[in-house]
Amino acid sequence: MSVMTGRGSDRRRFTAAVLGPDAVPEPLPLSDRVARGVVVDVTSYMLCLATTRGEERFLFERVTSFWKGDEADPTDLSPGDDAVVLCSHDGRLVAERVWAQPARATGVIVGVEGEELEIDPGHGRPRVPVVVPYRSSGRIGVRHPRLEPGYVFDAIGVWRAGAVWATRPATTQPPYPLHATPHRPPTLQYADTVSGIATWYDPVLGRSSHLDPRALANAAAYPAIDPVGHSEGCDRRTPCAPLPLLSTGATLRLRNDCTRDTTVVPVVDCAAADSWICDLCPTCGGQGAGRIASLTMTAFVALGGRLEDGCFNATVTVAQGEG
Amino acid sequence: MLPEIVDVVREVQLPLLAVLLLFGAVAKTTTGAAMSGLAVLLNERLRRPVTVASGLLEAVLAAGLLVLAGTPGGLARAGTAALFAVSVGVLLLARRRDPEAGCGCFGGLSRAPIGWRTLTRAGLLSVAALSTLGLDPTGWRVVTDPTATHAVVMGVELAVLAGVSPEPRELATRLLNREPCALRPVSRRRTMARLRSSDVWRTNRPVLLGTEPEDVWRHGCWRFLRYDGMRHGRRVDVVFAVRVGGRGRTAVRAVLVDRASGTVAASFGAVTTRPLQGPPRRLPRPRVAAKRDEAVRDAERQARGLRAAREHPAARPTGERETDTGQLA
Repeated sequence: MSVMTGRGSDRRRFTAAVLGPDAVPEPLPLSDRVARGVVVDVTSYMLCLATTRGEERFLFERVTSFWKGDEADPTDLSPGDDAVVLCSHDGRLVAERVWAQPARATGVIVGVEGEELEIDPGHGRPRVPVVVPYRSSGRIGVRHPRLEPGYVFDAIGVWRAGAVWATRPATTQPPYPLHATPHRPPTLQYADTVSGIATWYDPVLGRSSHLDPRALANAAAYPAIDPVGHSEGCDRRTPCAPLPLLSTGATLRLRNDCTRDTTVVPVVDCAAADSWICDLCPTCGGQGAGRIASLTMTAFVALGGRLEDGCFNATVTVAQGEG
Repeated sequence: MLPEIVDVVREVQLPLLAVLLLFGAVAKTTTGAAMSGLAVLLNERLRRPVTVASGLLEAVLAAGLLVLAGTPGGLARAGTAALFAVSVGVLLLARRRDPEAGCGCFGGLSRAPIGWRTLTRAGLLSVAALSTLGLDPTGWRVVTDPTATHAVVMGVELAVLAGVSPEPRELATRLLNREPCALRPVSRRRTMARLRSSDVWRTNRPVLLGTEPEDVWRHGCWRFLRYDGMRHGRRVDVVFAVRVGGRGRTAVRAVLVDRASGTVAASFGAVTTRPLQGPPRRLPRPRVAAKRDEAVRDAERQARGLRAAREHPAARPTGERETDTGQLA
């Protein structure tokens, strides 16, 4: 399913008319293996999910694993939970992994009160309340030593009572506040293909995932959005990967360097917070630093990512169509 | 002769120091060089105020060097000497604290790590300020009443200063090595200026219904602008693509897309990749012409055309055609 607005697809069509169809390939639909919705019923052998496609049922096998802040059991899932299901390769009926109430808080800390933080994800998105419970504070504190206003924060957790309960860090916090981040040295060489890391974000913030078409979108937010023509205003900084400037409506060819899966996703949003952080992804030992795209939760899972890892090494290609 | 030259050298220091201090003051107060020079040693909250205050102090000293004489002038000169002497110490401390930090002497331009060049320059300027103590004329009088010797001395000193400064190199790098066009932010005004000076714009101007674009977007090196248009009584979208880098006049393309059917009605500005023949001043020799024709001949296409022509009813003998018609009827 595509959530490209009429304007986005028009831009793609017109760009293709000038630069040729190779510059903006057709976005691919989301893999059939991924579903997202609200849990209606769960038993020890089956999950019933309300999704935008209607009610869907998934069977559990011995290898099926569950995550809800940490590795969990089917009994930990409860009706009303937001769930992302990755089906096994054999068929759509059997679930391979189920994530319940997954949430992520990426941005800059703007307020601290005891265990509670307030995170500004940038780009006019609503501020997210984050709770760092005592149980995971050690784990978070190792990689986020300064929980003070002005420093960046990126952690993965679960939604609970309208707040993100952080359970594991998704990056190592830079030792300086956001406004003192050093500038990227000038890039002299430019290539169409840029390596770095891909992350995920939740376009619906864990709410109404069975109604909102954005929940099942195969799309991405991009950290190098051109400010001209972006009416919402994108408070991004220059990202540390040498990414070409694009607008919403462009399409990215994206490859997961760990699994070698590829897809084509449209750019639908500005990933301001991802342009602030310059990190590496330890999941499969890649070398590329800098975030190149922030996929929607389902697109990230469909491309072979694990939500609890928060990232995978990726390569993005944006053809210029210089013919 | 020698004492006069020494006097000229001492006099030249006044305007030179004043200009350097003014440059530094402007750079410090206008640009945000947060983590450099003195700021490295300070608390987060104090960095910006102290940088601005040091910029203001430099401006005051520069004004003093230019206009004051006598005791107040002497104070300004001694203050300048003290400022540069203290800055040597501050730079040494900053370098010990953060070896990567720039000196911040000229704001964002001084990002190169503090090295022997920066330290030598601060020391030399301190000595230069000391040498002006006890001079009669003000800096402004030296500027308004120059001689050839002043100009020569000034030129030599500027060359020496440029040699011991990291900033000219930084400036040259910035000016000569521009970022690739795909990464370079460009203002909308500049794109519009380039578009409106192009032939493609003038050709399509009568088709447009408005003067402002309906939509603007970017794809790497290209910025796109969509206008509403009317062509032969049909609504069209006129899409201009303006290249961010490259030559000025040739870098604009346009397509006219029919709004109802979505087909491209016309395109402008794309440069063909096929070699075009120049104006026919002289015909090529027959053998050369035959070779060129042979190179562009597409045997497959010719064979296809011949086959189609043979199969066409008009190519058949008259009798067969009549039979065909009879069968069809």
